Amino acid sequence: MLTCESLCKYYQSSKGMVKSLDEINLSVSKGEFLEVRGHSGSGKTTLLLTLGAMMHPTHGKVVFKGTDLYRLNRAERARVRSSSIGFVFQMFHLIPYLDLVGNVLAGDDGNHSGAHSKSEALLQELGLGHRLNHLPNQLSAGEKQRVALARAMVASPDLILADEPTGNLDPENSKEVCRHLKRYQEKGGTVIVVTHGDAVHDFANRTIDLKAGEIISGPSLDHQADEA
Amino acid sequence: MLPLILREISFRKGHTTIMLCGLISVTALMTAYLSTESAAERETKRVARDLGFNLRILPKQTDMDLYWFQGFSDQTMPEATVERLANYQGVFMTYNHLMASLRQKITMGGGDVILVGVAPTITSPDKKKRPMGFTIKARTLHLGYQVGQRLGLKSGDTLQLSGHDFKIEKVMVEYGTEEDVYVYGTLKDVQGIADKPGQINEIKAIDCLCLTADQDPISILRKELEKILPEAKVIQDRVQADARARQRQMVQRKFEFLSPFLMVCGAIWVAVLSALNVRERRSEIGIWRALGKGGGFIAGLVIGKAMIIGFFGGFIGFWVGNSMALEVGPSIFQITAKAIKTEWSYLVWSLILTPLLAAAASFIPAMLAVTQDPAETLRES
Repeated sequence: MLTCESLCKYYQSSKGMVKSLDEINLSVSKGEFLEVRGHSGSGKTTLLLTLGAMMHPTHGKVVFKGTDLYRLNRAERARVRSSSIGFVFQMFHLIPYLDLVGNVLAGDDGNHSGAHSKSEALLQELGLGHRLNHLPNQLSAGEKQRVALARAMVASPDLILADEPTGNLDPENSKEVCRHLKRYQEKGGTVIVVTHGDAVHDFANRTIDLKAGEIISGPSLDHQADEA
Repeated sequence: MLPLILREISFRKGHTTIMLCGLISVTALMTAYLSTESAAERETKRVARDLGFNLRILPKQTDMDLYWFQGFSDQTMPEATVERLANYQGVFMTYNHLMASLRQKITMGGGDVILVGVAPTITSPDKKKRPMGFTIKARTLHLGYQVGQRLGLKSGDTLQLSGHDFKIEKVMVEYGTEEDVYVYGTLKDVQGIADKPGQINEIKAIDCLCLTADQDPISILRKELEKILPEAKVIQDRVQADARARQRQMVQRKFEFLSPFLMVCGAIWVAVLSALNVRERRSEIGIWRALGKGGGFIAGLVIGKAMIIGFFGGFIGFWVGNSMALEVGPSIFQITAKAIKTEWSYLVWSLILTPLLAAAASFIPAMLAVTQDPAETLRES
């Protein structure tokens, strides 16, 4: 469902060229739960944003459901994100002036009838049914991340990309978030989580390690060949 | 999008209030200024009108030496001349307030007086201008101060002229000019007394006030009159004309400076606050982009907010400015309180222009928001 070939992202810094991603080849199948591990500065977030049609690579291509994402223009990539990709971030990035239902609805692409009731149902499922009309600043970190999860799921995207979703959570809340991501994957969704911790490891069915912008372990393109 | 904007407005009350205050201030100052300016303009017109007619149209054959010596033309022209002038298309572009008169020297009570018969003033049918001067009823006279003194007459007395009784309507205050020896009556009555039926010897008028300082008004007025009344000529009282022009230009100059200054201050205020708002919302804008919302949506959030606050700023600002004009205006601008009134058209303009000003001012911040790289924002946080 998602492949990237020779993916590179270079930055020019005061200390010279920084290779944030260097010749990454990766394939992710539909229904997979992929964990991408790496230390801070290893290029995890850059990889996630590049896979999510948010950051133009320096070289290489990202093919999602048969479409080379970076041959699309900005508006077309935005449509792909809106309809097919859900994002979860370490800092939650909830809209501070919208209540929980409003925040979840923000993730809807507007093409689904009953989005409001679906938002409420998702929040119920994530244990936030009693706080539907609360604002994000009235929630704990774990609750905020569950709202972010609901937002990522509301449009039923094919792919959820999560950037350190447990980074700000205690062990109990981390497991809770991972369980919800796992449940989403079990229903047919595809999940890619980048993390530097161990919380996700038990839930993923594949793990790759990233170091200095390169994959240093775990199957990449070969995995796709095996699946085929 | 509107519910989103309204929620953001109510969430960031501090920012909203500061932005609103700025727009209220600008609109209020503009409204107060424009209201008092309109009042000043009305006052200017009134004062200018009170200065009197500054153009005199005389029969072409008038002996000007004699005219200046005795105060009226020795020649006459048909009364219909003024109608012909008034009916000429476009005449009111150049000439305003046409008043025909017949002036004649007569002896009264052992002394000379100037008998003046005046016809009702003709104004442009398109512009609802008030007639100038005073209205005289048939068979009544208005006596100059000196004439009244000499004849020992007062209001309500009767005076016999050419075998007819005339009621003294009024004895005028002392002007200290030749008007003190004038006796005013209706044109028809004076034509009868002077035995010059259907004749006039002067048409008074006001120039259009539309000529700039570098133009020679009298040559333009003469050229115009030549086309309409070749049998007449026009002279201009330059003292009155210049006073009128100076007053009008002074008011206009003040307006030309202050209005753009206020607008620019308001625009800068809104632009800075919008930019700060965009900066504060970097993370939010990043997530909207990540969720697939386009540049139009992001720009709409910023500009839409500015326009909504602008709408309320315009509404409140109008009322504040109107109150300022009514309460404080007369003492600051030295204008009679009566001249300042609520200008309802400014409410409409406030509701249109203040949101547009806010939208224009927030355009650059909106573009900054649109061009903000969401990946960069999300990677940073």
